[in-house]
Amino acid sequence: MTVIHVPKPPQSARNPGRAVSSLLSAQIQHLREAEKNLPLRYRSEKYVNAIKTEGEASEYIRDVTEAIHKGHGEAAAQRVKRALERKRGLEIAAVAERPSPKRRGVAMAKPNATKGGRKR
Amino acid sequence: MPPGLDNLRHIVVLMMENRSFDHMLGSLTAVDSRIDGITGQLSNPDTNGNQVKPQPLAEFQGQLDPDPDHHFPAVDLQIFGGDTSPARQPNMQGFVKSYFNQQRDVGHSQKIMYYFAQNQLPVLTTLALEFAVFNRWFASIPGPTICNRAFAHYGTSFGRVDMNPIYVNEPFKSIYDRLINATPKHTAKLYYYDTTSSTMEVANLLQNQPELFGTYDQFLQDCASGNVPDYAFIEPNYSDHDTDSGEEVANDQHPDHNIQAGELFIASVYNAIKQNANLWQSTVLLIVYDEHGGIYDHVIPPACTPDQFTASANDTGTGMQFAFDRLGVRVPAILISPWIPKGTVVNRTFDHASIPATITKFFLGDYAPRSPRETSADIFIEANPRAADPGRNLLSLSTMRTDCPDFDI
Repeated sequence: MTVIHVPKPPQSARNPGRAVSSLLSAQIQHLREAEKNLPLRYRSEKYVNAIKTEGEASEYIRDVTEAIHKGHGEAAAQRVKRALERKRGLEIAAVAERPSPKRRGVAMAKPNATKGGRKR
Repeated sequence: MPPGLDNLRHIVVLMMENRSFDHMLGSLTAVDSRIDGITGQLSNPDTNGNQVKPQPLAEFQGQLDPDPDHHFPAVDLQIFGGDTSPARQPNMQGFVKSYFNQQRDVGHSQKIMYYFAQNQLPVLTTLALEFAVFNRWFASIPGPTICNRAFAHYGTSFGRVDMNPIYVNEPFKSIYDRLINATPKHTAKLYYYDTTSSTMEVANLLQNQPELFGTYDQFLQDCASGNVPDYAFIEPNYSDHDTDSGEEVANDQHPDHNIQAGELFIASVYNAIKQNANLWQSTVLLIVYDEHGGIYDHVIPPACTPDQFTASANDTGTGMQFAFDRLGVRVPAILISPWIPKGTVVNRTFDHASIPATITKFFLGDYAPRSPRETSADIFIEANPRAADPGRNLLSLSTMRTDCPDFDI
């Protein structure tokens, strides 16, 4: 089996100060659109037209991506909470409708007592 | 069914950025003449009227700055050489002219013809020679990233030829929607590099179905634990940025990002799959580039079935409508599996619509509705009953290879 060594790029390859490409500009624009649908508390308040470098772009991209995930996570948690509350509410209602053991005993005792009375 | 297809459970697609076939793999013609790359007959005129030949002088970084124009009007110039007459024919003679328009520097404009020597790209060239390399895989549109990537996710760009957000028009669902809502249900995931790089599929899927997304770290964990979904789409890192764990270098190979960082990333994806023996025997990996990035390629993109959309003359920026009836410029594409014979060269025509077409056919069989472009796109993994045709089945070996290379990263 052949093992092929893969050279690493030099340290100088990295440049977060590089001007944003048209690709990153488009990604920022898309996330700006997505951000408009987020609840206000999740919005970044960043002025995207002022983003000039890859480093700045990546901060904005991270913030909005995380905010989208948080927004959906919160909605999912709310959904679960509501479902649990509904379930609990139904359980309480079911318990309320069900006769308690004491009442059941009384209710059952009456006909029995009657029957018993009659028997007696 | 052939054993390679019988074993196949996972399809993984890694889509890199903005490099043409000749630029990355053109050197391989000298090694294997079946690979349609660089020959001595190729050239492009510069703005002084001199013919510029392709040369193996490409550099890892710093050479294609500014980023070569690859928006629709520029690609039109690259393909048609500047001819705007009604009877024009594509000739691939406008690459140097197009790059000249950005800096008005004749010497600099000639660099658009440079390509990498084989030994500069040990990962990509090794994979191309070891597995199946496609001689005719084209970008879906003669235009930029976003609309081309849309074809990989939806089989159409819904009429867009630019970088604006693409809003899905029913009824064409993404390949992920199709899989996760199928009966029986399939699994699918888009792995972006990290949240700081995020995805180029922002407008639709991330906004509406973030559960479809994972990070590259998660992909590595899923490979190790054998939990890779039926279909996985991987996006590279699009930016130099800082994270809590350190400094990240862009590895998407988009000019002017470093090519070697992308080589490491491709090797990392390959190794992650190969290091899990069960996953390796049950997975195919497609490495493909979204579009050519304005860089020279010599193969004329063919006409294709029109999509049901038309981009207006205003949207194309050329003064002419576009009916999505011609493919974009050729890009590198390699299919990897231990069931593929070493040195396979594929001459059939593909584009990114072939990705949802193949995934759909393999996992779901017949499915409607799909775009006209997708339904007419060729598929790269056969499903029954054509799987038995050795002329079409690329995973044709009767026993799994044990001589596949490893990468030391």
